[in-house]
Amino acid sequence: MTSIFFAMLRREVQEHKVAFIYAPFIVTIVLCFVIASVYFGITDIQTAEFNFSTEIYDEDYQEGMLQASPEAKARVIRAGLTVLALPVLITVGFGILAYNLSTFADERKDRSLIFWRSLPVSDLTTVISKLLFVILAVPLMILPNIILLQFVAVMSASIYFVSNDIVSFGYLWNSYFITDWFRIIFSLWAQALWTLPIFTWLMFAGTYSRKPVLGAVVPLVATVVLEGIIFKTNSIFEFIIERIGFWSRSESFPKKYEEVRVVDVPDIFLLFSTPEFWIGIIISALLVVGIVYTRSTNNDYTVE
Amino acid sequence: MSEIIIKAESIKKNYDASYALDGIDIEVLSGQILGLIGPNGAGKSTFLQSILGLIKTEGNLEVLGMDPRRDRHQLLKEVCSITDVAVLPKWMTVDQVLQYVDGVHPKFDIKKCLSILSKTDIKRSSKIKILSRGLVVQLHLSIVMAIDAKLLVLDEPTLGLDLIYRKEFYSQLIEDYYDGDRTILISTHQVEEIEGVLSDALFMNQGRVVMYDSIESINKKFLELRPNNDSIEKGRSLQPIHQRIELGREVLLFEDTDEKKLSELGEVRPPFIADLFMAIMDKTKRGTES
Repeated sequence: MTSIFFAMLRREVQEHKVAFIYAPFIVTIVLCFVIASVYFGITDIQTAEFNFSTEIYDEDYQEGMLQASPEAKARVIRAGLTVLALPVLITVGFGILAYNLSTFADERKDRSLIFWRSLPVSDLTTVISKLLFVILAVPLMILPNIILLQFVAVMSASIYFVSNDIVSFGYLWNSYFITDWFRIIFSLWAQALWTLPIFTWLMFAGTYSRKPVLGAVVPLVATVVLEGIIFKTNSIFEFIIERIGFWSRSESFPKKYEEVRVVDVPDIFLLFSTPEFWIGIIISALLVVGIVYTRSTNNDYTVE
Repeated sequence: MSEIIIKAESIKKNYDASYALDGIDIEVLSGQILGLIGPNGAGKSTFLQSILGLIKTEGNLEVLGMDPRRDRHQLLKEVCSITDVAVLPKWMTVDQVLQYVDGVHPKFDIKKCLSILSKTDIKRSSKIKILSRGLVVQLHLSIVMAIDAKLLVLDEPTLGLDLIYRKEFYSQLIEDYYDGDRTILISTHQVEEIEGVLSDALFMNQGRVVMYDSIESINKKFLELRPNNDSIEKGRSLQPIHQRIELGREVLLFEDTDEKKLSELGEVRPPFIADLFMAIMDKTKRGTES
């Protein structure tokens, strides 16, 4: 069974390397280049809302940082590094959206479903392997990008600081926790489980509908509208919005954090203790049953 | 002792109001190369799909002693199929598809497959999308041939291929794959190309079995007479089951008629399967009308 899952995960990586290897890597390289350029004075990016230049390191900033406690300093630096990873995560988010919608639709479109189903792999195994791919494998695939990005950022900032006599070279590295990498990966796995109802819904749309995008959107919009008209409530819409956002920032998560931070592993266990998390898992399980049933009975290999 | 590979009893499948399969009763034994012959809509593909567990049917269907729908996953370890041409995933390279099958199929022998492929023009690094239709089918056949399966199901495996690839396909199948124990089910419209390889023929029409017999038995049972000009009337008087004109010459088909008696009237030979099929269809139609 392990070799089957390994073969299936390898197939997913091979098929979707553009979305989950090349695209995040390109975004990472561009970001690394921008970060290095800013720190080495080649460019700076300043807009009305956004200031990404070395000008932020003015005297007040330097003073504030020097006076801050080691913990507070570490918090600020780690928050900055976490924010840096957002463009990579957003890129992969779009990749996951496209993957979920297309993974079962494409096999009908190119009729390769006939070939996949001629091999001794059950529909359930196929669906589980695709879910394992987005839940477990994709976060692992993007982690090296985040590590590279953080490394370039800390290295560039350290060189800038030391060459401008602001602080010593090791100043930033003292606050840079390698354990954050593990926290990031656990956090992303938790995020994937939190968003699982959305993933499985999109996959289901790709399985049952000839037009997966419409198949995903129309029933949801109709249900949200009907709920509003009949019950005068908005719970389905809120559920969707909650699931698209970060789990640690959701309304149902017991802790509230002011600052951007990498969550601690106990926070993930806290998430597992909430009923909302398990409601999502149950909905996902039902949708998995739907996907398996629809795929196993689908002899109409057409999709538009 | 031949093993029962497929046992079908009263198999029915209806789509909307019409029956795609309307009470199929057959047994297929190990070692048979069975050709499913019938017009479009006869139910051939539906029957093959039911054997592969792709669709649900009424009645009792056992393939290798298993229920194909319920035990599909287990069954596919013993059953291979090419149910359509060019269904290999186009984004994959040849190597990737072989690695995948090697990972998921316990009876796939990758060394054997590579050895078969080495005799073809297919390169391992090639993407499937750049291969011609003929090469894709050749690749698919190479994969299937490297699987130690008991039953091979082929549904229009050479559709859209040119004559050379079609000939190569069947000669490779018989010379390199068939070992006398394996069972092969073939459905194709190009009957004349497979009749030399078949051991048995199953004629289907409107979801029913019209005739199911071995080629050996068919050749004994049915005879085609091209009567001499002066024997045409005499031949007709022996009540052929079918008559047709071929290149201006009368051809009469007989069932269970003495060969010696016929050979006195002209040239006698077993009919081609395609001609026999047309004759049986015609006879069935006339029978239904009367």
